[in-house]
Amino acid sequence: MADLRDLLDEIVTDADVVFLFSPSGSYYEKFVDLEPEVTLVVVGTENAVGASTFVELPLAFEDVRERIRFGIEGAMKQDLVDDGDVIACATSVFSQNIDTVTRVQANESVQSGVYDLFANSRADPNVIRNVLEVAIELGKKGQKGKPVGALFVVGDAGKVMNKSRPLSYNPFEKSHVHVGDPIVNVMLKEFSRLDGAFVISDSGKIVSAYRYLEPSAEGVDIPKGLGARHMAAGAITRDTNATAIVLSESDGLVRAFKGGEIILELDPEVY
Amino acid sequence: MAVQWGVFGEFRYLVAVAVLFVGWLAGYLVGRANKRILTAANVPDLVEGTPFERTAQSLGTSTVAMVARLSSWFIYGVTILVALYVANLLDTRLFFTRITAFVPDLFVAILVFIVGFVLADKAELVVGERLRSVKLPEVGIIPKAVKYSIVYIASLLALGQLGITTDALLILLAVYVFALVFLGGIAFKDLLGSSAAGIYVLLSQPYSIGDEIQMGSRRGIVQEVDVFVTHIEDDGEEYIVPNHRMFREGVTRIRN
Repeated sequence: MADLRDLLDEIVTDADVVFLFSPSGSYYEKFVDLEPEVTLVVVGTENAVGASTFVELPLAFEDVRERIRFGIEGAMKQDLVDDGDVIACATSVFSQNIDTVTRVQANESVQSGVYDLFANSRADPNVIRNVLEVAIELGKKGQKGKPVGALFVVGDAGKVMNKSRPLSYNPFEKSHVHVGDPIVNVMLKEFSRLDGAFVISDSGKIVSAYRYLEPSAEGVDIPKGLGARHMAAGAITRDTNATAIVLSESDGLVRAFKGGEIILELDPEVY
Repeated sequence: MAVQWGVFGEFRYLVAVAVLFVGWLAGYLVGRANKRILTAANVPDLVEGTPFERTAQSLGTSTVAMVARLSSWFIYGVTILVALYVANLLDTRLFFTRITAFVPDLFVAILVFIVGFVLADKAELVVGERLRSVKLPEVGIIPKAVKYSIVYIASLLALGQLGITTDALLILLAVYVFALVFLGGIAFKDLLGSSAAGIYVLLSQPYSIGDEIQMGSRRGIVQEVDVFVTHIEDDGEEYIVPNHRMFREGVTRIRN
């Protein structure tokens, strides 16, 4: 038994920072009572244990790598972690409780901009999260069982409206609905069978559906094989300060674009 | 007196006992019915957490039980008086008429006081809950002010019901309300103007997100419209213009 512990020792020795991902109250207390010399950071969708150093996850990332990457990026932005620090991450993979310990070294190259996507976008972080949730839900269920595609352009709505034209009458004209309102998800789902993009303002107001985006697609570099919807999303985010969230019709993945690049790729099926 | 009673004059003690019994039964039933109605109206949930309810709980009762018992007591009181009258034990009719006039008033006054107190506590809780997100220590005075305003008005009503002169208190209330309305009007003048204009803008949408407009000296693309302000962005500068400016100065929509 002792040699098994030695193995774990190697993972946690010399760690500068410990990340606890959504720890239970008792686990957290136990950890604090040990009074370790390392910095403790709690990462989770909510600060249930009332920790002083906390990084908020916008989604309960199912993929452990995404989860840890987001935690590190958030912690680096909050100056809790420096470049080159060794981090021991305690997280859960199979059960609700913490069952996995992993060792990561923080460096700038780990950063993919996922934290930026939420924390430093023009639009409210909650709005981006709500739109992502709608896209994920739409990807999971589809429209009446059939896979659908959708394109949401969030933030900088004024500029986006000027760089697009209506394909037909705007169903959201003179309406004041915001993403996250209770019935809006159903509405967005119904309208997702329409062609074109949804335009959503910084504060989450749904400005328009049925928009044909006309940005200049010059210099937009997205992986080959993705269709016109992704190209439009990449181009509009390069041309404006908006964030685009795309649900692909062909492979069913949800992708987020910012500054013309894919920042985040999620599989709705695993959420 | 005895002449009036005539035939059943001998039975009057018996009648009094019967009245007492009927009164006791009625009081008990009304109390229980009241309790049922109040529970059905969700009053226990509404008063939960208020200091009044907590005090009642620590005394081994609850607000609902107290109000229900109050109605029972009221009926018991009336019954006893009627019984005494029937039994001819109380001789002075004058005293009787005064009592019958006073008892309902007292009942209403106590009820108003209890309702006022519970309402005040509840209002304090609700307002406090609303202001929780405002992280400013001084904000704690607002729920207290709301609470004591309601208690003040309730006690004023209760005292008025009992016929106690409340003129001085009434003047104080008038001054307080006037100050609240007057100062509030001055303080919220621009906000009220903006929100009135904002409602018009939101309903009829003379301009909407994506339009290029000029409002006063500010020109740019509309990024956001809400009840109070309009965000106009121009080359990295975002102007936040109060909506009442739109009515004062008008808006130019730029079409090209």
